Amino acid sequence: MTLILEARGIDKTYPGGVHANQNIDLSVTAGTVHAVVGENGAGKSTLMKILFGVEQPNAGEILLDGKPIVLHSPRAAIAAGIGMVFQHFSLVPSFTVAENVVLGVEPRSGLKLDRKRAAETVQALAERFRLPVDVESPVERLPVGQQQRVEILKALYREARVLILDEPTAVLAPQEVVELFAAIRSLTEQGRTILFIAHKLPEVLEISDRISVMRAGKMVGEVAASEATEKSLARMMVGRDVALKVERAHKGPHEHFCRIAGLTVKNDRGLDAIKDMDLVLRTGEIVGIAAVEGNGQSELFDALGGLRPIEGGSVELGGIDVTDLSVEEKRDAGLAHIPEDRIATGSAGGATIAENIVATELGDTRFVRRGLLDGKAIRDHAVELIAKFSVRAPGPDAAIGTLSGGNMQKVVVARELSAKPRMLLVSHPTRGVDLGATEFIWQRLAEARDGGASILLTSADLSELLALADRMIVLYRGRIVAAFANTADLTPEVLGSYMLGFAAQGHEELKAALA
Amino acid sequence: MELILNTVFSAAFVAAIIRTTTPILFASLGGLLSDLVGSLNVALEGMMLISCLTAVLVSAYAPWYVGVAAGMVAGGALGAVMALFHLRFKADVILVGFAINIIAAGGTVTALNLATGDKGTSIGRVLSAAIPELDLSFLDPIPVVGPVVTQMFSGHSYLTWLGAFMVFAIWYFLYRMPGGLRFRAVGEYPPAAEAAGISPNKLRTYGLIASGMLAGLGGAQLAMFNFVGFTRDMTNGRGFIALGAVLLGRRHPVGTAIAAVLFGAFEALSIALPGILPQIPGEVIHMIPFVVTVVALMLSSKRKLTA
Ligand SMILES: Nc1ncnc2c1ncn2[C@@H]1O[C@H](COP(=O)(O)OP(=O)(O)O)[C@@H](O)[C@H]1O
Ligand SMILES: [Mg+2]
Repeated sequence: MTLILEARGIDKTYPGGVHANQNIDLSVTAGTVHAVVGENGAGKSTLMKILFGVEQPNAGEILLDGKPIVLHSPRAAIAAGIGMVFQHFSLVPSFTVAENVVLGVEPRSGLKLDRKRAAETVQALAERFRLPVDVESPVERLPVGQQQRVEILKALYREARVLILDEPTAVLAPQEVVELFAAIRSLTEQGRTILFIAHKLPEVLEISDRISVMRAGKMVGEVAASEATEKSLARMMVGRDVALKVERAHKGPHEHFCRIAGLTVKNDRGLDAIKDMDLVLRTGEIVGIAAVEGNGQSELFDALGGLRPIEGGSVELGGIDVTDLSVEEKRDAGLAHIPEDRIATGSAGGATIAENIVATELGDTRFVRRGLLDGKAIRDHAVELIAKFSVRAPGPDAAIGTLSGGNMQKVVVARELSAKPRMLLVSHPTRGVDLGATEFIWQRLAEARDGGASILLTSADLSELLALADRMIVLYRGRIVAAFANTADLTPEVLGSYMLGFAAQGHEELKAALA
Repeated sequence: MELILNTVFSAAFVAAIIRTTTPILFASLGGLLSDLVGSLNVALEGMMLISCLTAVLVSAYAPWYVGVAAGMVAGGALGAVMALFHLRFKADVILVGFAINIIAAGGTVTALNLATGDKGTSIGRVLSAAIPELDLSFLDPIPVVGPVVTQMFSGHSYLTWLGAFMVFAIWYFLYRMPGGLRFRAVGEYPPAAEAAGISPNKLRTYGLIASGMLAGLGGAQLAMFNFVGFTRDMTNGRGFIALGAVLLGRRHPVGTAIAAVLFGAFEALSIALPGILPQIPGEVIHMIPFVVTVVALMLSSKRKLTA
């Protein structure tokens, strides 16, 4: 149990005045997976950047193998055997995997770049550490999960003994997470040390040996993973008990509100993404759509939200046919949309919070009089929502692009819910969002449901669907293959077999569950 | 029509194309190097012009190769100046480039006037040297092809052969050597290079200096072979045409060389055509390379938008 990397009394204040790290101690044992968890903005990335020489601490010292070391640049950290994979990859898109890995430390034969040796070395590394990847393929053709492997290989090629991974699972699909964890295990088996940054607790508990928890720039504790639970970690992270639990819908008469009949939607390649779908949503319920990425759920939500043409069939909201209406007309009919990509579709990054909030209400006489914006009314409305939704922001005039993911999502949720929608489309509402904000967003969605809204929800996170939905639908290749009432015996495993197409409900069973 | 075809497909016309292509080729290769490493060199024109004058004035007092070297050094020095303003003082690279072009246009006239007392041309004032021709007439006796080959390829400047070699050398550097890998990495995605411990600005500085040196060689060829002596504005847009060649050649050395030959052919045509077809003004033919450049720019930006 030798310590390989230690931080003592690390303190960092950014030039802007943010005190991101306050007297941080961290001890990492060689050959283990050490997780650092904390809410967004807790200071995890800052600490890692200091350990990798990207940022310089204002105070404190770093010890490697028990000896003090000064890391004034990433190059010094690499030379000392520390590697880091950032959340944003730095790969040259047109270069092959092997070229990207060896860039800067190329094998040579004479004046020439020794491509053969580069490919062989990288291939050998990939096999040794269970990071399978086609070394001759340009990285731009690889999925994100494999690009991440290339980044890890880059660090290993430079002989990293300590590998820092900053939120490596945030960009990965569930299957890719499994593969990453296999690689991490093979790395620690071969004596490498992993510093793993995350804010999703189940996976942290699964992969780590020890877990350090940060909150608001401070280190609040360290525990062995075997002694920790999701609940105890969440309490340490947020500083209070977090109730990630939502009550089911009230029993009572819920009349039909949204009627989807024979819906067909095409994907970008002109193929049927959704085929002949029939679905009825009642008032006051949340219907969860479970599907593996690419089985038509994005196209379904886009089409219902008016961002993609409907090829066939009809959609009715409260008796009004909205099939061919524009986005704005659909909004007037009571539809609201919390889209998948809050940065590209959900908000205008350069515009202020107030502008983003009013963007969907330009027909409202509260905010627009005789074609002119009423700046004061808009700001007041924004201030009210910022307070109500506890958005952590400097004020209504801050650009939304400067907010953290969780707070950006809160702004989008605040805007969509403030319109008091009767039908709400919600995609991945808490992707990249911290625990406190997740709890908050879930509760607001449940509130909207209890207020009588029909909510159609999809999420890559099955536990989120199971927590929120009253009914659950499984999509496979654009068709509904199963439907369930969300009871305690509905498990991810049951859903998984339908999602992967291993099972399908019979016609009668499906009809009964969908009625 | 027949006359035109006879001219275009004659060995003498091929020789003319090789001659007109050489300066453009050097400038294009220079443009390629700086463009690939991420700083578009719009100053090729001015660099060439200053190199023309430098080569002419130096070669009046020294052997021809010293004149060529002086032209090359002048271009390289301008590249270094560009790097200084763009990378150290953070000025916009296009603005710095145009500043050099403007200074070159005026400065060469002033310098010429100071050195020779003439504001238009050095010809008749100073006796500058010419780059020697490489005589390949020993190929003449080869049966069948000998005479044609000789007519096409004999009697060109040494620099023409150097230029052809540079196409290969630059290709080899970019695609076979570690330095070229780094160059292209910086040009395509600087953060990746930085993460790999490579300094983008250092490579950009090298790129701009090499770019200037190549443009300088182009200038030397122009003023010590294609013409012997300096005339004001003698580069006549070749530096801009070279930029077009880089884009049309899809930023690859071989493609760039082919595009340079194409533009060289238009120039040769614009020299030959007025004699054959007096009804078409020479200016119209002179326009062709510029029109092609603009179209190439439009196509390449459209490709970027749709990608
Ligand atoms: N380069 C920077 N300049 C100023 N403030 C920063 C910078 N990077 C991060 N911060 C601030 O420091 C705090 C901690 O950020 P970070 O370390 O990225 O947190 P985490 O990775 O835990 O989400 C945040 O309030 C963030 O806004
Ligand atoms: Mg972070």
